[in-house]
Amino acid sequence: MHPLLEQIEALLAAPDHRDHPLHAALGQLYRLHIDEQKRLERLLNIADGYQQFTQTDLASLKQQYERQLNKERKLSRISDRYQQLMRERNQALKTAATHDPLTGLANRRLMDEQLIQAGVEAVRGGKPFCVAMLDIDHFKQINDRYGHDGGDRILVSLAESLRGQMRAGDLCGRWGGEEFVLLMQNTSLEQAGQIVARLIEYLRNLTFAVTDIPVSITVSIGVAEHSMVEAPLDTVNRADRVLLDAKQEGRNSYRLAG
Amino acid sequence: MNSDIQISGTQSTPTVRGDWETGCLTMQGDSYPENAFELFDQIIRWIGSFLEQNRLPLRLELQLVYLNTSSVKAMMDIFDLLEDAHRQGRPVSVDWRYHAENERIAELAEEFREDCTFPFAIEPKQATP
Repeated sequence: MHPLLEQIEALLAAPDHRDHPLHAALGQLYRLHIDEQKRLERLLNIADGYQQFTQTDLASLKQQYERQLNKERKLSRISDRYQQLMRERNQALKTAATHDPLTGLANRRLMDEQLIQAGVEAVRGGKPFCVAMLDIDHFKQINDRYGHDGGDRILVSLAESLRGQMRAGDLCGRWGGEEFVLLMQNTSLEQAGQIVARLIEYLRNLTFAVTDIPVSITVSIGVAEHSMVEAPLDTVNRADRVLLDAKQEGRNSYRLAG
Repeated sequence: MNSDIQISGTQSTPTVRGDWETGCLTMQGDSYPENAFELFDQIIRWIGSFLEQNRLPLRLELQLVYLNTSSVKAMMDIFDLLEDAHRQGRPVSVDWRYHAENERIAELAEEFREDCTFPFAIEPKQATP
């Protein structure tokens, strides 16, 4: 207790001062002060407690927030990875739908799309494209002699050779069986003729390894140049017809559709 | 609820089977339902009831493949539920099986396992013809 308060308490208690004119007023003032002091203390206690409560509350909120944040991050991370997985699977499906599983070349479906696209671009750009149909000579005999595995191996090797021999912008596809299609954009019939002549020469001198036996093959090719007025599939048909001519006239050669 | 749970799978929802007698809950397939909440709410409630009313160990056998975001969220909630139970001394475990040729699924299962302290196995499944 403050020394002044102690002094006043003592003065009020002393019998000598009981009749002093200020005794009653001082006594009231003293009690009023003590009451006010108690109220102030109580108020401070409440305020302190409240502050502490808010602090604890804030800390637990912060902890909750951080836990939530971690969960959100984990959720996004896992979800992103699933999405990535799906994208890759879609890509694989798309490849499977558009490529020949044996040779890895474009399949007929993709080549159809590419031919239609080439037709649109040829009309727009005024530049012709050529289609070559390539067929392995006497493939049935190869299959009979080396079995289907042997035949498959030759198809795979031939596909690799085609990819290696054609120019960067050319497209190779497997049209079906032992028949392949080559799409040469921005190419005239004359240029295409030179390209397939070289290709026939190259393939004639190549030996394919089937088991441990080296096997030679020859191919026949028919080439047609897209005319601006025809559908690209008609170009394919014209190339196919001259391929048939090449076959009938002794194989191991190419013909250009006039 | 103190009975089995059985939800037939569809192309976009997993097959779910919870056996109250043995304490085994299996979930297999893809999960990208239109309403993931509706599907997983039943599963989460079943797990909740089991942990509350049954004293047997709870074992989850998962063969989940693709999960959309809501399903990932629901699975995280399920693992949280198991984690709480485990911290209270309940025996719980997860056995996540994946096709050996799909190693990516195992990596995702590992992501799920990250904060779990209960037994959580990730094992390749024998190829079934």
